[in-house]
Amino acid sequence: MLGIYQVSWSDRVCKGCACIFLLTFCAELDAQQASPWPEGAAPASAVAQQSTGDVAKQGETTFTWRDHPTLDIGDHLQLDFRARIQADVRRSGFMTADGDLDGVDIARRRVGVTGTIDRIATFEVERELDGNNPWRDVYLNYEQFPVQVQGGRFKLPLSLDENTSATNLDFVYRSRAATQLAPGRDVGVMAHGRQGLVRYDVGIFRGDGDNSRADTATHVTGTTTRAGRIVIDPFRGSKSAWRDLQVGVAFTTSTVPEGFGDVRGRSALGESFFTPTIMVNGARRRIALEQRWRPGPFSVKAEYIRLTNERLGQGMDDGDLPPLESAGWYVSGTWILTGEQKSRGPDNPTRPLFQGGYGAIEVGGRIERLSFWSDGIGQISTSPRAEVILRQSDRAATFGVNWFPNRWTKLQFNLVQEQLLIPSRDVAAQTLQFWSRVLRVQFAL
Amino acid sequence: MNSHGEDAATENTETRDDRRVLRIRPSMVCVLVAALLGLSTDLALAQTADDLFDPTALHDIRIRLNARDLQSLHERYLENTFYPGEFEWRGASVGNVAVRSRGTGSRNAIKLGLEIEFDRFIGGQRFLGLRGITLDNLWQDPAILRESLTMALFARLGQPAPRESYARLFINDEYQGLYTIVETIDDQFLSRSFGDPAGYVLEYHWLNEFYGSYLGSRLSAYTMMFEPRTHELESPTTVYSAIERLFYEANRNTDSTWREGVDRYLDVPQFLMHVAIEEFVSELDGISGYAGMNNFYLYRPSDNTRQQLIPWDRDNAFQAVQSSVFLRIDDNEILRRLLGYPDLRELYLQMLEACAAAAAGDRWLEREVVWRAALVTPAVRADPNKPYSNDDVDRGIAFLQSFARDRPAIVLNQVRAGR
Repeated sequence: MLGIYQVSWSDRVCKGCACIFLLTFCAELDAQQASPWPEGAAPASAVAQQSTGDVAKQGETTFTWRDHPTLDIGDHLQLDFRARIQADVRRSGFMTADGDLDGVDIARRRVGVTGTIDRIATFEVERELDGNNPWRDVYLNYEQFPVQVQGGRFKLPLSLDENTSATNLDFVYRSRAATQLAPGRDVGVMAHGRQGLVRYDVGIFRGDGDNSRADTATHVTGTTTRAGRIVIDPFRGSKSAWRDLQVGVAFTTSTVPEGFGDVRGRSALGESFFTPTIMVNGARRRIALEQRWRPGPFSVKAEYIRLTNERLGQGMDDGDLPPLESAGWYVSGTWILTGEQKSRGPDNPTRPLFQGGYGAIEVGGRIERLSFWSDGIGQISTSPRAEVILRQSDRAATFGVNWFPNRWTKLQFNLVQEQLLIPSRDVAAQTLQFWSRVLRVQFAL
Repeated sequence: MNSHGEDAATENTETRDDRRVLRIRPSMVCVLVAALLGLSTDLALAQTADDLFDPTALHDIRIRLNARDLQSLHERYLENTFYPGEFEWRGASVGNVAVRSRGTGSRNAIKLGLEIEFDRFIGGQRFLGLRGITLDNLWQDPAILRESLTMALFARLGQPAPRESYARLFINDEYQGLYTIVETIDDQFLSRSFGDPAGYVLEYHWLNEFYGSYLGSRLSAYTMMFEPRTHELESPTTVYSAIERLFYEANRNTDSTWREGVDRYLDVPQFLMHVAIEEFVSELDGISGYAGMNNFYLYRPSDNTRQQLIPWDRDNAFQAVQSSVFLRIDDNEILRRLLGYPDLRELYLQMLEACAAAAAGDRWLEREVVWRAALVTPAVRADPNKPYSNDDVDRGIAFLQSFARDRPAIVLNQVRAGR
């Protein structure tokens, strides 16, 4: 979480005015960019250029602005410059030890460049403007052959939600399962491609990803990680409503050295409810199932992720303990009320604001659960070597509205109801239930 | 012959019948086994805390820790990190207890002083009704018995004191040495000693030389020095105001109301008795210690503000048989002014006489030294981690015997001279 700070309502109003100004500016720019000619008066050559994009002549270096600034250096290199800012206004009923979670959170301030080299390789470099770990995706993908090879730092191929760009999320926050149990980014190399109805990714990575990165010397994380994913589009190529359906399965394996585990449980707004004070040692395995279907303006997504971490030799008698288990799932659905096709993305509305319309509007809902526990016999304990760990979980329901005034701007409002099952002082389970509200304003080039 | 043959036949028949019964009702075997197991468990559970603190027995305590935790406990003995372990005494065991290194001057990596909390990892877990115990490593006492003898004298004189007994400690089946099992000062101790489990009890931590001066009205000046062992979650005002008031009243210059003010926040007779016992046993590191006040808990009843002292850590008692019963008394602000009142000085002297009488009567203290030494000597000789030799132990115990024999008369002479 970056730079959470408290602001007064007057500050919020000022920021809101600034947002509206920027939004309007972008919309005007969008209108100008869409067509410099009055409707129906454009010359044929201009129409052709618009329809095919601003194609540079062979060997020339040109700078154009399509969805984002693009630099073409002859036929050899194309660079697309990107930038993204997301700001959240949050209000939660969950009271933390330090106060509450209310405030403004500048979630992301990122710049990046993507590009193509000689039409045989693509690359991406993306960086957060501040923070301790600013580099995001930094990779090169060699795609001359059917089996493509990607190397660098990028997300491990597990979890549909985690591998969806933050710009294109259906809800302000990713699912609890994706955020806490999917590995996230790491340095590695991966082969991937498509064979008929099947897409595949197989890779090896230096570590177990950023999402479970140990933040203290006493916490440990996975070492060299192997990951794989297979996604099947069973109706690909057909013209039925099912043609977009895809189902997939993914896995990772790594070894975690002896120490406090690093997988933790956080609520939607980031409050920790399961802290990693459990000793682990041995193999860490993830298995994930995913499904996505986007018929017309609708979408249905679901995922299940299970993470198992062995606790070899961690008993008080140096024996093995039952593994630390973590599991999460979600089911979500969205509906674009303004009729855009979900598979094409509502972020390019048919009738943008100030161009005869009011943009695209989408509503959605998600239910999810994230749990931590161990299967054992005996008394429940909060000991780091407890054989039986009390099940701790977060059950959440999210209701959201997304408004896309134009292709660069997105406003999201989420109402989240969460129910935490956490241990009380006497190690019995207690339930905390609360509501949170989040408004996200996003600008993306 | 026939008769014998009939008997044999009868016996065989009975045996077959028994077998038949056993075959027909195998569940009875299970019931019998379960009953036997249950009986043994019940025998263990039938023990009480009084049995654990029985000083006439040499106990065996076994702790099992993960090998990594044991290594960490030794390497990081200066930290107060709790490690999970299993605790066993007389066949009764309890799991997921919390074990940490403890002690100030006695804290070391070779022979660990340990604090055991039964309820840290499992809320409400008790062992023999206890929330925890301390295992004193006897690191600073070659005579082995200083701590337990002093506590026994406190108890004999009707003063609140933790119960203690001796134990051979085994960690992961390896003998660690002779330890003293010390009762934890908590709400259960208050219940047993004062019938007041709702009382307040705070452990004094030595931070620097403190002689009872007033540290000001800010309660934060006292929070580091006094750690609450009950009512930990209550506001500092509730927990510390009576302590701040005590030192405020004790340092006022107004003579006319000084005694009344102090009496409101201190049980003066109990305080003087505590000091008298310390002076009788020539305590080096107590209320009138060589480096200021040390080694005590402060108890405040739930229904009034008159605070009392509870002794702790007496490894430095029995220093010198000729020690003055007024040694360093004037260093302490409260003691100095209390003993300035003739009646309180007389009360103090009477208490010293009571100490001498309790120790000398029927040669109680001397006999205590003898039987306790006989009980623990084999275990301490086998102690692989003690920082002193067996000769040191023998000399220390011999000194205690002479102290126990000679000290009462010396104290009585000093009392007579002090009047």
